[in-house]
Amino acid sequence: MASAAEFDIVIIGSGGGGAPIAHTLVGAGKSVLVIEKGPLFRTQSDDPMGLSDYKRDELISDGPEKVLTVPGLTNTGASFYTSHIEPDLNDEPHVYRDADGGDYATIEGYTCQCVGGGTQHYGGVSLRFAPLDFKLRSFNEGRRDLRQEVSADVVAEMRDWPLDYGAMEPWYCKAEKLVGINGTRQNQLKPASEDNYQTPLDPNPISKFAFDGMTALKMAPYRTPQAVITQDHAPSGRKVGAFADPNFVGGPKTGYVNRYGDPLDYKSSAWIALLRPIFHEPNLTLWPNTVVTHLEADGPKVTKLHLRDASGRGSTVSGKVVIVACSAIESVRLLMLSGESDPAFAQRLNGNGLLGRYFLTHCFGGASTIMPGRHDKSVTIDSDWATDFCASEKFIRDNGLWAGGAIYNNTSDQALPISLGRTHGATDLDTLWHAFNNDFGAVGDKFLDFLNTQFGRRLSVSFMANQLPQRDNRIELHDRVRDKWGRRVAYIIKRWHAHDEYLMMTLAAKCRDILAFGGDGGQGKYPVEGYGGVFMSENSLARIANHILGGARFGTNPADSVLDINCRAWNFDNLYVTDGAFMPTSGGANPTLTIQANAFRVGDHLATSGLV
Amino acid sequence: MSVVVNKDSVYVLNHCARSLSRDNADARHNYGQFDAQDPRSSIAECWRFPIIDSYRNPDDGSGQDLNLVTFVCVNRAAALGDAVAVIGSFSSLIKPTPLQQVEDSDYWAVSFAVPKGQTHYYKFVAGGRVMPDPINPQRVRRPDGSEWSRFFTEYCTDYLVLEGWEARLLERLTDHILPFRTTEGQRWLDYYYQSLDKTGREAQFSVAYRLDQPIGAASFIDKLLARREQHRLIDYRICLELCYQVLQCWVPDKDPLTLPKEEYKALYELMTDDRPGAIAGWDYRRYSSPRFFLQLLRRHAFTGAFAHPKHGGNVGAAGWQFLAHNLTDPATSRLPLQHASKMPAGYFDWARALEPPLGRNREYRG
Repeated sequence: MASAAEFDIVIIGSGGGGAPIAHTLVGAGKSVLVIEKGPLFRTQSDDPMGLSDYKRDELISDGPEKVLTVPGLTNTGASFYTSHIEPDLNDEPHVYRDADGGDYATIEGYTCQCVGGGTQHYGGVSLRFAPLDFKLRSFNEGRRDLRQEVSADVVAEMRDWPLDYGAMEPWYCKAEKLVGINGTRQNQLKPASEDNYQTPLDPNPISKFAFDGMTALKMAPYRTPQAVITQDHAPSGRKVGAFADPNFVGGPKTGYVNRYGDPLDYKSSAWIALLRPIFHEPNLTLWPNTVVTHLEADGPKVTKLHLRDASGRGSTVSGKVVIVACSAIESVRLLMLSGESDPAFAQRLNGNGLLGRYFLTHCFGGASTIMPGRHDKSVTIDSDWATDFCASEKFIRDNGLWAGGAIYNNTSDQALPISLGRTHGATDLDTLWHAFNNDFGAVGDKFLDFLNTQFGRRLSVSFMANQLPQRDNRIELHDRVRDKWGRRVAYIIKRWHAHDEYLMMTLAAKCRDILAFGGDGGQGKYPVEGYGGVFMSENSLARIANHILGGARFGTNPADSVLDINCRAWNFDNLYVTDGAFMPTSGGANPTLTIQANAFRVGDHLATSGLV
Repeated sequence: MSVVVNKDSVYVLNHCARSLSRDNADARHNYGQFDAQDPRSSIAECWRFPIIDSYRNPDDGSGQDLNLVTFVCVNRAAALGDAVAVIGSFSSLIKPTPLQQVEDSDYWAVSFAVPKGQTHYYKFVAGGRVMPDPINPQRVRRPDGSEWSRFFTEYCTDYLVLEGWEARLLERLTDHILPFRTTEGQRWLDYYYQSLDKTGREAQFSVAYRLDQPIGAASFIDKLLARREQHRLIDYRICLELCYQVLQCWVPDKDPLTLPKEEYKALYELMTDDRPGAIAGWDYRRYSSPRFFLQLLRRHAFTGAFAHPKHGGNVGAAGWQFLAHNLTDPATSRLPLQHASKMPAGYFDWARALEPPLGRNREYRG
């Protein structure tokens, strides 16, 4: 490994925020270094032996029990379960402050340390944000049909994005084309100048209940766009198997999609779609198993990145431009750690105190129940039907909401047996196995009853919606807990606003309605076991997801944002942040496609900026 | 004798940074399985070493009966000298095989193709000394009293850490929990294994007959306690012994392992009650919460019955087949008709995702 080598661009993180920039700038002839903390896990076609590092084995994703040993936390001594590409909490925890003021460690659902980042692990849902999502301040200012808890000072915290949907649209098209996404456009509320979708495969039979429910309620459905290819994909050089042939046993519908890396080339992770196709270009260098511990700057110029290689040996590297894209919490943390030993850096980056502020996730939740019949849910990708009904301006106004969200059904949840056992009754990644372990009566015949009731029968419908930005929702450095390198870990302080809770219940009720109407042929009386939002914890049967966004929002005013419209840190010449940290509002959909589109946009800007 | 395999450096480094690369030696990874001073307490997931993985001969695609086993040694600043080697029952106990330095890193490694279903012991040789693997927590004492490192490959159904009586007792307990010893379940299981034998399936499935507990949940738990959840072995050691003592106390003149299932039912039900004294004969000073052990046992039993067979349970994929063919049609609350051609793979077509010989997927190689 070289020391103090000079690259045009150094990108920290190889996921959805970093890979598009690498793809663009390597294509523009610039020398690009991508540094990734995690391993380079390969598919079968990348591997010299022809075997993938990813396996279709539930125990890869649902790892063995570990015990939290970090001292002094509320949940010290608790069990936790990680897969082999999530961090070990004892080495690298994220610490949250809970409602009672205690500190506890937890895992976000899609943090992934490997080449490709979270895009290796996710289910691939690739929705665009709605046009309204880009201008929530303008939309809400002066409104008289808002619920009262969305008072003027709450509206004052909202921000328009510095560019509107129309300005982002060409890059949505580019991302959809280059990543490789299947879905259908009709009935989406997000206009598209190009249809780059591949044709979806047949839905899982259980999804018909979701389709029927949406249709009965006039919630015009469309096939959920997902980053899984169903046809040959020329931009990434991928070919699919001959699974149209009924004698051919293969294809992407395996049930091992959400929370699993794909051993084949179907899932369009950032590695497969964007980095692998350019891997042998002479101007791309990739350093996996390498962690950046901090940045060093001289005035407005980031001059060095300090690294540790796979052996833990230290070195430095420099680039004309530095891109930070290691997922919102870790990116903000890296910048804060860099400022710790360099007050001038901290002042330059965070003079307005906004670094780490306006941390966002999504309002998330849904409804779930046992449907008629039993279905083989393992014959699936992750989701079949979506609707933008709750993203329409009419719905938003009718319900006094500040913003809306997307709804889609889930098929792969509990499709495989271990996932049934561990997520039965669980509301987040901290309550896994709990319900089954304590259901002592479920033995022998009663265990069989449990399987007969649960296996292949549950359908969940989820929503993904904007969360209110609040200044006090923030990322800091924890004053006591340190990672395995001795660096302070991220400390997240976040609470839901009363309006978030109302919004979640409103959208969860719509998810419940979809199941209620879908389950009995449109009468609306089918019993739904549970519905709610993530804020409800123990009472909710919501599925598990957590997107991490914000903390370094972009904007047009340096007093009011951390980054400019091109995601450049205002007072630096050459420092950019392009993972989800840039978002001033979280959008009414899963964020990955928007992160990728924005990264392509920033990449194109850099290619023509003259900086490199 | 197992053959040395060339495995590229990225593969080895992929496994090393997460576990072995760090600045502090805090004992963050000791959940009770190590003594306080054990340096393995500071290694994340040290149980991953040696790395056990799939193997495939890239020239002819053969090798499904073999695992790739990769030994890794940390040789920072050549502290172990400039030559590190391995001896073991899978190759030679006399002639060491050298490890190679991985690029210019601190890690030295060598890979072998070793048959599935086996257990082996080994040591490293460095600087003229012979020593167990400093990272792998699996240790075994050989008949001559010497301590060696141990590993086992996939599909191993030998009992490694549980004594014979412990394994039998565990089988009785997991039999009570799982649905396979109901009248219906037992009949289905017998039928399934017989059908496997008749079709002449791969030899490994016939292992099922040799296990007293065909589904292999106890075998899975033994492997789990040997490797991935070593910190839970002590729970089993204590609680299985206490269960044995309780049963002896209840029925003094009979071997607890031969008692009828009603006794195990009674024991299980009492164990859900944590009030001291609720179970006559249970020593609460040694283990205060039988209920906690039941929670552990439930998770382990479930996982053992339905995890991929390579982990030592779900033998012959019988657990998965049970889900496919032994669940009811909710409309009738009866099993669907056997010859329903619409769903030949039943309600769970697990085989379509997995590689031969276990499954029938044409793309995925395992």
